[in-house]
Amino acid sequence: MENQRTVADGLRIAVRALVYAVLGGAALIAIATVVSVLGPMLALDLYTPPVAAWWTVFTAIAVQGVPFLLLGTVVSAAIGAFVPQKVFSRLLPRNQALAVPVAGAAGVVLPGCECASVPVAGSLMRRGVAPAAALAFLLSAPAINPVVLVATSVAFPGQPEMVLARLVASLATAVVMGWLWARFGREEWLRPPERHTDPTATGLRAFTAGLQHDFLHAGGFLVLGAAAAATFNIVVPRSVLDLFTGSPWLSVLLLALLAVVLCVCSEADAFVAASLSGFSPTARLAFMVVGPMVDLKLIALQAGTFGRSFAVRFSSVTWVVAVVSSALVGWWVL
Amino acid sequence: MRRYGPAVLLLLTGAAILRISLFSELYLRYVQAGLRPYLVVSGFLLVLLAVAAALVGRPEQEPHAEQGQHTEHGEHTGRDQQREHGEHDKSGDDSHAHDQHGGHHSPRVAWLLTLPALALLLFPPPALGSYSAEREAAQRAAQGVGTFPALAAGNPVELTLAEFGSRAIYDSGRSLAGRTVRLTGFVTRDDDGTWYVTRLLVACCAADATTSKVEIRGVDAPPVDAWVTVTGSWHPKGALGTDEAWPPVLDAASVRRTAQPANPYEKR
Repeated sequence: MENQRTVADGLRIAVRALVYAVLGGAALIAIATVVSVLGPMLALDLYTPPVAAWWTVFTAIAVQGVPFLLLGTVVSAAIGAFVPQKVFSRLLPRNQALAVPVAGAAGVVLPGCECASVPVAGSLMRRGVAPAAALAFLLSAPAINPVVLVATSVAFPGQPEMVLARLVASLATAVVMGWLWARFGREEWLRPPERHTDPTATGLRAFTAGLQHDFLHAGGFLVLGAAAAATFNIVVPRSVLDLFTGSPWLSVLLLALLAVVLCVCSEADAFVAASLSGFSPTARLAFMVVGPMVDLKLIALQAGTFGRSFAVRFSSVTWVVAVVSSALVGWWVL
Repeated sequence: MRRYGPAVLLLLTGAAILRISLFSELYLRYVQAGLRPYLVVSGFLLVLLAVAAALVGRPEQEPHAEQGQHTEHGEHTGRDQQREHGEHDKSGDDSHAHDQHGGHHSPRVAWLLTLPALALLLFPPPALGSYSAEREAAQRAAQGVGTFPALAAGNPVELTLAEFGSRAIYDSGRSLAGRTVRLTGFVTRDDDGTWYVTRLLVACCAADATTSKVEIRGVDAPPVDAWVTVTGSWHPKGALGTDEAWPPVLDAASVRRTAQPANPYEKR
């Protein structure tokens, strides 16, 4: 009995395997033939100038982001591995309302663009810095560091008030956002940055592990953001801009939106702003204040590091605060 | 693959960066020239990290082996336990697994990095050309009318399109008058047949490219996107600093086809 059953089972399995092999093989051959014949034709047809331009812009954003992202993850991994837990809580004022402006002003020390600041802010939170202070640092670092300010003064020769306005408006936005978070922020929106290493592990091993994980994780989101930015870059015609240059208020809003979709690196956005010559100085200021704080690439990076529900709320409020702050500062200084 | 996933990803990314920055000048298609040292350093760092990831994977293997045995036991004792352990092995988006042991697996989103990396290694995308140039109106650098430093000696004098454009439109000293200049760029055309020598200007990366162009008169248009060197003299037009002066015009004496220069963009 047993034997018969095994023989029958074996036979059934063999037949089934044969059928699968024949069907699968035939399907594979068919697919391979179709792909090898149609593939090159289709590839040539699909590789139109817009698609080629998309690939170029996409890889360009990714390539340009890699050194800065690596700098940011090196700093963040070093903080995680070599800086003792209590250092930051000792350095920063205990009172959150005071810690926020201090952390915002500390943004001066990180000479990178916005890709670098997200992992650093994440590691600051892991090291016990109050989220409000870490977020103020996250917003201010890419906007007010010396490299960016020098680039701004080069892009606007003979207009030092533009550099001042950028510094003031960016810092104000960062501090206001920090205070808003301290007052209204809820812990549950913020998925605490995952601890990817043993908290007790320190030294070189923890550094390497942290660096690997942070870079790969943030790198994936950088690619996602680059794809979104490249798509907008190719799909939205620049001539849309000319429609709005007439109205001063609409043009502020328009350039603030443009900064979100273009994802220009904060070290280069001053040059882009300078080239938007049809717009009022305040609108161009808004472009430079919003750009390093809210853009598609950054939203993707934040969603990856702090969670999606945080990124959506935080980015939209930051956008509003940044627009208001640059409008006020522009009206006052420019 | 799971174990070597991070190493493979880091190696691919590092190799792609090194291929375009160290072993060729392809990086100039994507970013500005000044970024090269940073790219080379990042490339080396990524390759080093990949090696470290591949090596470090080994000693940390031990707890895994232990878990593997547990899994086998789990099959007998209860499905829940098996599931719990099995998750380590199957996890792709392993936010969960990370909490338990080192940066061992790579997060699933990281696999997106293969897209630009493979593109750069296998089919580096071309430099932006006439398509991007025509999408946006060429912009002239905003600046005031004034005098410029003297042009370099020699005829013809080699100029960037941006330099020619700003001198043509804003130079009250008219330094271009009576000089023979040579410009290099690719060809774009309007619908009405006028053609331009065009160049894209990049400040940081190709995403921020803007256009500068010079209208060419006196010679028939080469095919669009062809790279040319044009020699000729400035054709004054419109009052300085006004819209009528834009775009600047060159009366061409000769147009020569040329290869695409190593740096397809002008530095802004």
